[in-house]
Amino acid sequence: MKPFRNISRTAVTLLLLTEALVSARLNAADVSVSSGLSRAQISQGEMAELQIKVSGAQQADVPQQIQADGLQIRLTGQSTQVQMVNFKVSSSVVYSYIVMPLRTGSFIIPGASITADGRQFRTPELSFKVDDAKAQPVDPYAGSPQSAQGIQPPGIPMPGFQQQRARPLQQRPDEGRFVFGEINCPKKTLFAGEMTPVEIRYYFDARYPVQVRGRLDFGCEGILVERFPDPKQTREDRDGITYNVLTFHSLLSAVKPGSLDVAPAKLDCEIEMPGALPPGFDDPVFRQLMGGQAGVSQQKQVTVKTSVLHLEVLPLPKEGRPESFAGAVGQFDIDSIVSNPHPAAGDPANLVVKIGGRGNFKGMGAPVLTHAEGWRSYPPSDKFDSSDELSYTGVKSFDFTLIAQQPQTESPGCEFSYFDPTTAKYVTLTSKPLPLVASPGGASPAVVGDTGAAALSPTLVPSPGQNPNKNVPPKEGQPLSGINLRSWTTPMQRSEFLIATLAMLIATAALAGILAYWKIQSQGGTLASRRRKHIAELRSLLTGGTIDAGSFYEAALDYAELVLPASDKRDALISGLTERRDLLKYGSGGSLPLPTIEHRKLLESLDLTTTKAL
Amino acid sequence: MKRHTLQLSSFLFLLTITFASSLVVSLHAGLPEDFASANANLASGHADKALSTYKTLLTYPEFKTSGSAEIWYNRGLAEMQTSDAVAASLSFRRALLLDPSLAPARIELSKTLGLLGIPVPTGWRERTMQSIHPETMIVTGAVIGWIGALLLVVLLFQSSRRKGLIILSLLLILFGHGASVMGTLVDPRRTARNSAVITAKTAPTLRATPADSATESGTVEPGTLISILSRNGAWWYVSTGSGPGALQGWIPSNAATPLLSSSKGSS
Repeated sequence: MKPFRNISRTAVTLLLLTEALVSARLNAADVSVSSGLSRAQISQGEMAELQIKVSGAQQADVPQQIQADGLQIRLTGQSTQVQMVNFKVSSSVVYSYIVMPLRTGSFIIPGASITADGRQFRTPELSFKVDDAKAQPVDPYAGSPQSAQGIQPPGIPMPGFQQQRARPLQQRPDEGRFVFGEINCPKKTLFAGEMTPVEIRYYFDARYPVQVRGRLDFGCEGILVERFPDPKQTREDRDGITYNVLTFHSLLSAVKPGSLDVAPAKLDCEIEMPGALPPGFDDPVFRQLMGGQAGVSQQKQVTVKTSVLHLEVLPLPKEGRPESFAGAVGQFDIDSIVSNPHPAAGDPANLVVKIGGRGNFKGMGAPVLTHAEGWRSYPPSDKFDSSDELSYTGVKSFDFTLIAQQPQTESPGCEFSYFDPTTAKYVTLTSKPLPLVASPGGASPAVVGDTGAAALSPTLVPSPGQNPNKNVPPKEGQPLSGINLRSWTTPMQRSEFLIATLAMLIATAALAGILAYWKIQSQGGTLASRRRKHIAELRSLLTGGTIDAGSFYEAALDYAELVLPASDKRDALISGLTERRDLLKYGSGGSLPLPTIEHRKLLESLDLTTTKAL
Repeated sequence: MKRHTLQLSSFLFLLTITFASSLVVSLHAGLPEDFASANANLASGHADKALSTYKTLLTYPEFKTSGSAEIWYNRGLAEMQTSDAVAASLSFRRALLLDPSLAPARIELSKTLGLLGIPVPTGWRERTMQSIHPETMIVTGAVIGWIGALLLVVLLFQSSRRKGLIILSLLLILFGHGASVMGTLVDPRRTARNSAVITAKTAPTLRATPADSATESGTVEPGTLISILSRNGAWWYVSTGSGPGALQGWIPSNAATPLLSSSKGSS
């Protein structure tokens, strides 16, 4: 019966899993994309948040930047939500962009191309206004109707959320609560764009088992919160009660100035709590039977909340703002290298500018090139190497591709500005031009020689036998002369290569054969030829008659063993020869010459038999 | 024995030279007058005339099995001057297919793709090809590998075996044939048979099945390099890449031109 039960259980599990997967697959097909702005109107010096929500997919391909004249819009992070209710899976991803105005005016944020679930989508255009005056209170969703349709990710309040914010709830143990949350942000006054650490702690009474359901929900309009790494779990005594403590660490930054009440951080959990006994069982005898426990427990769904976090967000000062400022707030340093200081003529050089330090790396724009006359540059690619879990410290590398339009001996320099919140001042860092040798595609050695750079650039002088088109390319846009025929297929796909390879295999085998033959010849030939030679030598020895009797019998025995075919006669002859040899060897007369008669008889007997054998 | 060694060395030398020469298919075809006149037309701003001549040149019999990176590059320049960036991207891609180390073609392709809003490929294959031509790598590697093999055979039959030389010959075999395989892997011509470029003026729609009424699954921008995964009559099942953002779907075959075509000159 037990095996049957196991099989049934497995079958049911598989059935449910299959259904869940099929359902997930079906639901994944309904992909939709929407976008919204946190505010449709801001003042200069403030920042807004643009969110793109992709529903029905767990991942989407979104642009890192959205190009809009007068605005800098950069991707800062993403959050994913997956829900499974009655085996119906729904998922959505929210991509957050920071919108930083570079000037005042009205803007149209163009739609972004999104690829999700193998399909391409385009978000609608959004209008956006930047005033010169101080920020005016506006309806967060005015002018962004898309947000009303569906975007309510963590960080943007839901309808009716204001009441909760107005009535902060902090549960304390002395209030008789089993669980409560705390939020700690060491910096209550910060600048827009400045990142500050935030710690959220949830206390659970250690006596009652708790299961956390879902993810931490924290954020509101106007702040950006980094993804929370896995929490740390510790134990702490407070007011005589032992609590299990879950601690979340992250960073937050504000995008708009003013007073800001960040909504409580919420965490859904399920607590197993003691419940009331049914009527008739609530007596001391029953409690005794249950080991002193209440006997009945209840699963209670609880949403644990922290208090409201109040922040004062200061705008970035307009005074003294450098032109090269592109949103970096923190403390940084700069370093630059040219990864290929001797590019071939016409080839690009790469200037890598490294910005290290701590601050808002995600909202940071690229440095500005200086002394870039005679260079054509492209927007840099960037890469961030974080040195901590929260991506607060690290190094961001910007890789500029530069093509020389005239002979160059130095790379462009670089300028990078950031706002230091500790001194409340803008800081501009510069890196000097670095030595390199680069020339445009059309430069000839003679031209380069005039600038004095030829001596530093051996690659500009074509070496004999090389394709002149590579070493001295024509002036940009000028046609190439000379025709070189090349195959459309790789050598390994061509019959001549296969034939040549086969020929080489045969040649190698032939070479091995020749060498083997030579080796055998040098060792006296094959086994058969060496045998024939030995027999001839023995015959010559036996018929010569110049050896003593012992040696004669030794040779005769060898000869008989080698030449005579197996037969009784051979065995009898060999036996006689062996006996006589041993007699001569261990007796007397072995060193004397063999008597002539015996010699002739022996030869006759061997000749008779050997003639047949040979 | 000395005489034998001399004969053997001559034999090996001749063998490897024969092998190398059998692989070299590039030969200078001279400078046809038409090519020179087309170049002159292009330089003087008569791109239409130049383009017409380049197209005619590419129908010459010597271009049936081979190609000239220079002609395709110049044709691309002429197409750029006639504001046909999509066709130019195909020509520059073909020039780079024939000679991946041709720097001017690489620069012009980057510019053209930039105009079309298509990312420029910058992988390890491209970087390797910029430093050494795959054909050079394959042929040189094969020659070195076979020299190593012949040397190993000779050393194995010698009475006094020298360990150092045997190790050297094994290294030559590994390095040579390894370079040959590596060259084949990076050679864009290996997979070009199933590659094509979108040459339709408007972005064709990717469809779930080969039918005009089938569900749309996105569009592919003109100038994009695609991989042909399957063919069904006048429809191709294509992929725009291998990454997570790659799209797949059916497009009409006349919306794209194969990178390698049986009629390379005419397309």
